[in-house]
Amino acid sequence: MVLDFGDDSSKSISIEVNKAFSTIANLGLPLLNIIPSFNKIVIIFENSQIRDQNKEKITLEMSEIKSQSHKSAHKKWKIPACYDESFALDLKLIQKLHHITKEEIINLHTSESYYTYYIGFMPGFPYLGDIPSQLITPRLATPRINIPARSIGIAKNHTCIYPKISPGGWNIIGQIPFDIFDLQNPNPSLFLPGDKVSFYSVNHKEFQQIQKKHFSINELIKEYSS
Amino acid sequence: MNSLVITRTGTHLTVQDFGRFHYQHLGVSPSGAMDQRIIKELEKIIPLHHNQFIEFAYVGPSIKVKEGSVKVCVGGNCNMNIQKNNGTQIMCQPYKSINLFEGDELNIHNTIETVYGYIAVEHGLGLNPCLKSFSTDTKAGIGSINRPLKVDDTFEILEDVSSWDHLSIPNPTYKKETNFKVYPGPQLQFFTDQALQSFISTTFTISAQSDRMGIRLKGEAILSSESHDILSEGILPGSIQVPSDGQPIVLMRDIPCTGGYPKIAILKEKDISKISQLPPGSQITFDLQTIY
Repeated sequence: MVLDFGDDSSKSISIEVNKAFSTIANLGLPLLNIIPSFNKIVIIFENSQIRDQNKEKITLEMSEIKSQSHKSAHKKWKIPACYDESFALDLKLIQKLHHITKEEIINLHTSESYYTYYIGFMPGFPYLGDIPSQLITPRLATPRINIPARSIGIAKNHTCIYPKISPGGWNIIGQIPFDIFDLQNPNPSLFLPGDKVSFYSVNHKEFQQIQKKHFSINELIKEYSS
Repeated sequence: MNSLVITRTGTHLTVQDFGRFHYQHLGVSPSGAMDQRIIKELEKIIPLHHNQFIEFAYVGPSIKVKEGSVKVCVGGNCNMNIQKNNGTQIMCQPYKSINLFEGDELNIHNTIETVYGYIAVEHGLGLNPCLKSFSTDTKAGIGSINRPLKVDDTFEILEDVSSWDHLSIPNPTYKKETNFKVYPGPQLQFFTDQALQSFISTTFTISAQSDRMGIRLKGEAILSSESHDILSEGILPGSIQVPSDGQPIVLMRDIPCTGGYPKIAILKEKDISKISQLPPGSQITFDLQTIY
């Protein structure tokens, strides 16, 4: 079953998507997976019988969601980020492309509170946006084979964090000092669709100090979200 | 205590079950056995499998009882034998329970004209679930064992074999199907009647680049009249996506959780298992159904 919210990827559509996602996910329906993305929600049932039994309920719920004002349960994150050259593999490329300094890139990237459109591509990978227009950069022409875990990337009008080492085509501009996906936790992902995420710049020494603390997901929630 | 050790790995040896659900919105793929029909059959002989099956592709592993004794059963179309502790060698068959004692080694050779085979062990493999499932997604590094199995991996099975009785079921006869009924995909309208016509009239060849993530097909290019780059959206196993080179990919169990290629059609769940068993080089056709 597909719930379609239109053809665009705008923040207002995504807010609708995530509102519907959390409502339907909390209905306790017998579904296998419910997958939100920019403008759609795909709901997967074990078979078409179960789908047909629940279709009406979801459709009804959807019409009610539209009329309700939504109380946000989403978190606000302030995430430390180190933009040192040792982590920011593509900083030079972006400086050259946009004719801006390293400081301007950091100021721009830390100036906004980003919206978490959805989690996808790999476990715990948040699609965040939208980044300031001066930073909009195409994906790398040749994707990297190994992007270091915890790297911060930008591509088109989005920014992201790679939860673990992975191939990928985003431009890498920094790194965060902790893991954002933990398989030992029943709620394994630090970020959830709809969360707001902003970054603040830390130097290499501060980065290492945080890194050494080996925060768990629950400790990170306490420390860096509100 | 009973224990089993891998003495030879075969290929693509992983632990799988019926799938890991409820986490795809966090980027976690469903995974699970490529051919779910077989582990369903094995359930009849080893009901106490604890959802921990070993999957192999093309070449099976050798497993040896290090300590105690275990009851196992192999599913799939494959050759195998047992090297007994006393040096004798005995033949054995899939879909028949096998009692293995200390020092016995089960050698599974190749799968015959198929790809995947499975081993069920009574009382499971002594593993803990990861996100409520035992399945392995090696690309994402998720699973009770988050990598392919390797030589010397040892499984400790605390409970003893419940009965030495021999159980068997007739070998399931899976007809080798090469024509698959498919249903309209969410971006069917991206393809002109002409493109759809060539989709159903083309004989596609399964490429050797196929894996647990997707079965790649080679044939006449099926080109979208709109775009081959859509906004990423949730996808599910069985979807047939068409990237810009026009060569369709049937998405399998280790799907990326969202995808940005248009999906022309989708296979039924039971056909995902069927198509997984076709080795590279097999030729297939699609029959597009209009009623969903």
